[in-house]
Amino acid sequence: MSKKNIVLKSSNGIIFEVEEAVALQSETIPYMIEDDCANDTIPLANVTGDILALVIEYCKKHVVVADGDGGGSSSSSQEDLKNWDAQFMNDLDQSKIFNLLLAADFLNIKTLFDLTCQFVADTMIKGKSVEEVRRTLNIEKDYTSEEEAKARQENEWAFK
Amino acid sequence: MVFLKLGFCASFSERYKLEKEQSTEPPPSVMTSLPDDVIIDILARIPRCDYPILSLVSKHFRSLVSWPEIYVRRSLLGCTEHCLYFVLCDRDNYDNRLYILRRKAKGNSRLVLIPSLPALPRGGSYVAVGSRIYVFGGVNKDRTTSAVTIDCRSHTAQPLPSIPMPMYNTVADIIDGRIYLIGNSDCGDDPKKVMVVFNTETQTSEEPATIKADIELRDTYYHGCVMMADKLYMRDDDNSFVYAPEENKWETDEMLNLMKWNNACVDDQVLYFFDCGENNLRRYDPKKRCWGVVNGEWFGRVVG
Repeated sequence: MSKKNIVLKSSNGIIFEVEEAVALQSETIPYMIEDDCANDTIPLANVTGDILALVIEYCKKHVVVADGDGGGSSSSSQEDLKNWDAQFMNDLDQSKIFNLLLAADFLNIKTLFDLTCQFVADTMIKGKSVEEVRRTLNIEKDYTSEEEAKARQENEWAFK
Repeated sequence: MVFLKLGFCASFSERYKLEKEQSTEPPPSVMTSLPDDVIIDILARIPRCDYPILSLVSKHFRSLVSWPEIYVRRSLLGCTEHCLYFVLCDRDNYDNRLYILRRKAKGNSRLVLIPSLPALPRGGSYVAVGSRIYVFGGVNKDRTTSAVTIDCRSHTAQPLPSIPMPMYNTVADIIDGRIYLIGNSDCGDDPKKVMVVFNTETQTSEEPATIKADIELRDTYYHGCVMMADKLYMRDDDNSFVYAPEENKWETDEMLNLMKWNNACVDDQVLYFFDCGENNLRRYDPKKRCWGVVNGEWFGRVVG
């Protein structure tokens, strides 16, 4: 049986041709196909080529292949996938992580969205002090000293 | 169907058009330029005890962690946590204040006062329902009919409609969304055992009912109230009672009353209490209607 391919085009014009099963992990792409947004090529105006390449790399790894019994099984074991996911995220810089998160949200790929959200939560926020969170995420302090003192007093229980 | 699809496309394209426009200039923080619902999805995965820290990071984070939506998301993600609260009385002014057990990774747990909550009446009845604690009655200067609900997410208290009459020696528990507050009414020379039912869905009290049991009831003190298999079990100085709301029926339980149980808790539909006189842990199985002793090694001595 021949496999159908889908052509995706990034915002900066880079073309990717992928198997349908890989692309359909996105819940947004089927709408674009149905809407006939594109004849043969699906333009993804919000995703740049380097991020789309990462998305495709993730989707290829996570594609569920049909087995002979008519059911479905993942191409890798759960444990392998977990280790692969961890390595995949660890190799990315912060800017790529956030762009990947936005792409996963836009393309509606739930497992990738969960993976990136959890990675941001675990590595950039969890267990850190106020100053560490601000520094890691490059957030400017917008409280005046008085406002911060008041907010700290209200939440005193958490700082003991 | 077409309409739905159009709506879907429009909301996404608008949202990401905005993102794209913002991204032409370098934003101060990529994180804060994410759509709020995406940030909520990230923050919902952070332990609840880190939220006060998050609320100090920026005003934007502060508003996000105070949104009810974040708790809906936490439930969906299965990121709910159990917290232990304690009511402690301040010896100097006799104020009853709520404390939270702050558990730390290295095991240095401590009880910390929650300053945003007011002093609570002494001897009130407390019932925990989801992320809320309901407090009924008790004593301020006099016996109070006040009722409040505490939102443990925001650590704020909201008043509820008063209970219909002052009550004392109250016990309470919840069955099927309704809180049963049982105690002695403080009306005139003829104190009666009464029950007030509070509906947590409508947030209103129902008409109080005088308790009619199969024996004569005295104006005595309640020692405990637990809920097992949709029935309330309680004990006063003389008797142990069972109340079945479905049948609206009060009965005494002589077997349960064989032990002078108090400060009991329930696990898997079995009542447990620590018998200080005998220094052992006793269990009561309401199905089999029998008492037993839990054998095991005690770590330290419990003093009642």
